Amino acid sequence: MSQSMSIPASQTRRPATMSAGMSDRWFSILLITPAMVVILVFALLPLAYALDVSFRFADLTRGRLGDFVGLDNYRIVLADEAFWKSVGVTLQFTVSAVVLEMVLGIAIAFLINGATAGKGIIRSLMVLPLATSAAVTGLFWRYLYDTQFGLINYFLGLLHLPQPNWLGDYTIALWSVVLFDVWQWTPFVALIALAGLQALPKEPFEAAELDGASTFRVLRTLTFPMLKPVLFLVLVLRTIDSVRLYDAVAVLTRGGPGTTTESMTFYLYRTGLKLFRMDYASTMAVFFLYAMLVASLFALAPLLKQFSTRASEG
Amino acid sequence: MKQILIAGAVASTALVATVGAASAQACNDADRVPITWSTIAGFYTDAMAKLVSGFEAKNCVKVNVVNIDNSQLYNKQVIEMVGQTGAYDVVTLETSEKAEFAENGFILPMTDYFADKKAQLDDVAPTLAALTTQYKGDVWGLPYYTYTAGYIYRADLFDDPTEQAAFKAKYGYDLAVPTTWAQHRDIAEFFTRKKGDKLKGEELTKDFYGVGLMAGPFPEIQDEMSGVLWSQGADWLTDDGKVPVDAVEKAMDDYLKLVKFAPPAALTVTYDGVMNQMKDGQIAQTYSFFLDQWPNAVTTEQSVPGARMGVAEAPEKKAYIGGFLLAVSASSTHPKEAMDFVAYIGGHDAQMEFAKAGGTSTLMSVLSDPQFATPESRAKTGHFATLLKIFDDMKGFRSNLFDTPFGAKIYNTMQIPLQAAAAGQITARQAAEQLASDVEKICGGPCPIGK
Repeated sequence: MSQSMSIPASQTRRPATMSAGMSDRWFSILLITPAMVVILVFALLPLAYALDVSFRFADLTRGRLGDFVGLDNYRIVLADEAFWKSVGVTLQFTVSAVVLEMVLGIAIAFLINGATAGKGIIRSLMVLPLATSAAVTGLFWRYLYDTQFGLINYFLGLLHLPQPNWLGDYTIALWSVVLFDVWQWTPFVALIALAGLQALPKEPFEAAELDGASTFRVLRTLTFPMLKPVLFLVLVLRTIDSVRLYDAVAVLTRGGPGTTTESMTFYLYRTGLKLFRMDYASTMAVFFLYAMLVASLFALAPLLKQFSTRASEG
Repeated sequence: MKQILIAGAVASTALVATVGAASAQACNDADRVPITWSTIAGFYTDAMAKLVSGFEAKNCVKVNVVNIDNSQLYNKQVIEMVGQTGAYDVVTLETSEKAEFAENGFILPMTDYFADKKAQLDDVAPTLAALTTQYKGDVWGLPYYTYTAGYIYRADLFDDPTEQAAFKAKYGYDLAVPTTWAQHRDIAEFFTRKKGDKLKGEELTKDFYGVGLMAGPFPEIQDEMSGVLWSQGADWLTDDGKVPVDAVEKAMDDYLKLVKFAPPAALTVTYDGVMNQMKDGQIAQTYSFFLDQWPNAVTTEQSVPGARMGVAEAPEKKAYIGGFLLAVSASSTHPKEAMDFVAYIGGHDAQMEFAKAGGTSTLMSVLSDPQFATPESRAKTGHFATLLKIFDDMKGFRSNLFDTPFGAKIYNTMQIPLQAAAAGQITARQAAEQLASDVEKICGGPCPIGK
């Protein structure tokens, strides 16, 4: 122990085979270069290209990139009723799905945490919806929702309950997509919350029990405050993922009936790859990215602050 | 003398066949010219593989078939055409895509190629040829498959004396294959019954519906509405390149009147869903429906006891005319071989084989071949005679939707307002107005029409 402590810092950071002439700074740059190249090629260059396209006329079927049109595409997209409708659908979906997933996921996590047997099996079962892609499970759910041959309506019929047209009734189609998403992603919230619960120190809870604190008080003053960073992270992750809603819509409803379930990304896809108006599609993508960046910065600010405080303390 | 001539002809044919076989045998795999055909997955894939083998046996060409899901075929083909990648030598186009591909230089005209093959070109059903192959005076390929629409119904219900009497008592005229859309609506209403009601004198164990509709979020909703719109003397686009709002509203209104006589699943399905409803004994008739589905529809006779299927022209003798066009990519590195392939697949011999496999041919000589009119071949080709009548009745018909270079984009958009109205989200008027607005946006004003 004393020997390892006595090794100079420079030697612990630098491999023996490394050239003696390379500074720490250059070595760090060398290490991050592959990741930076990947980000540059697969994220920044396409982003720059999309930005360029968003300021030009670009109807793919009429040839390659056209003339510079200034802010025309932004003006058109921002005045596009269908675009704002898709934004509304996305927000409605995100709020509903994330709230339900958080509430159910946390509740399930508490139930599993309190269980005395079968925790391993339940955890394994909960991974199943996450382990399959939305495209596959979406197909599976499309058959479940089928009004003629679907299992859900079959059982509702046996119970003499109304048999809704899950994907064809415009008043409930979006809720059917929400239900599917909740089924797929609640286990994710539950598993993360469960891991957070199991990592909590026992001492404060034992002290609270000795003091005769009620369950509600323990939850309010100990459990939730201590779980807050974990839950907040899950909330941010689920929100970002929900805003990107595409697969479930593509498989279950194709945006229908009409445009009832047409999310922003699905509308972007339709504009870009059905109408081949890459200019409008790129403009929407830039707008989408900007909105996500701003929202993420606000949402992640407390977490980033917490991490930087911990780092400085360390 | 006659015998000598016949003997001569036979000998020449044998010689040509021998030389052809020899040349094919002499062709090494390494020498074969590779061409790639992008086509629709699941549409007689096995039959197509057999036809491809037939072409390869006669030509020193290797055909790679790329099967693509129908919903993605247009996107993928456009991307490859714009990029001029040469990935596909032969492309498969929906009727509304022809003008766009031709106008933008994505495909090569085949007018010169067919200059000395006029007989082959003339064999394509003229109505189909006009809509699928011609644009601005040029020929752009050959259709190899038609999904022209007609009317498919449960003939056993129409022939039942109890049902006939009840229908006559209610509507004052005989129950028969409808010749007007008003009669079609009456029939749809008449056969819509609840579980426990009687059908052909027997108690129903589940709800029964008067009509199957393709009102799901797919382009087929506009296909089935096309015949109705066309029978009004209107079109999706006027000669000025605008959507006739009043005519579309009327067609949409007529459609909405039918929705209540269709299974609730109508709002989520396309043609395969309607066929499942038919085979499950849920519906009495279709609307304007793809006749290529006849071999599928006729299996209802096995799945529903006592069922007998019938096929006829759609009411008012106007129906959607559609076909998959085979065309040669402008970026093909082997256009000659690609054109030979198009001519082969769309030619008589291949189309005969295709028809025997249950495919719906595009050639008059095949559709009218007596061997396909026999009772034995009814299950596969029982719709051929009806198709001939449809082509005859619609002779000279053209739709502006298929003659505008924006046809494909309009086609990919129009389902949205139409389906929204079918689902009750908006009114027929709003759907027609939204369609007009969307189309104007797509074309950047009135759509150009190039016949």
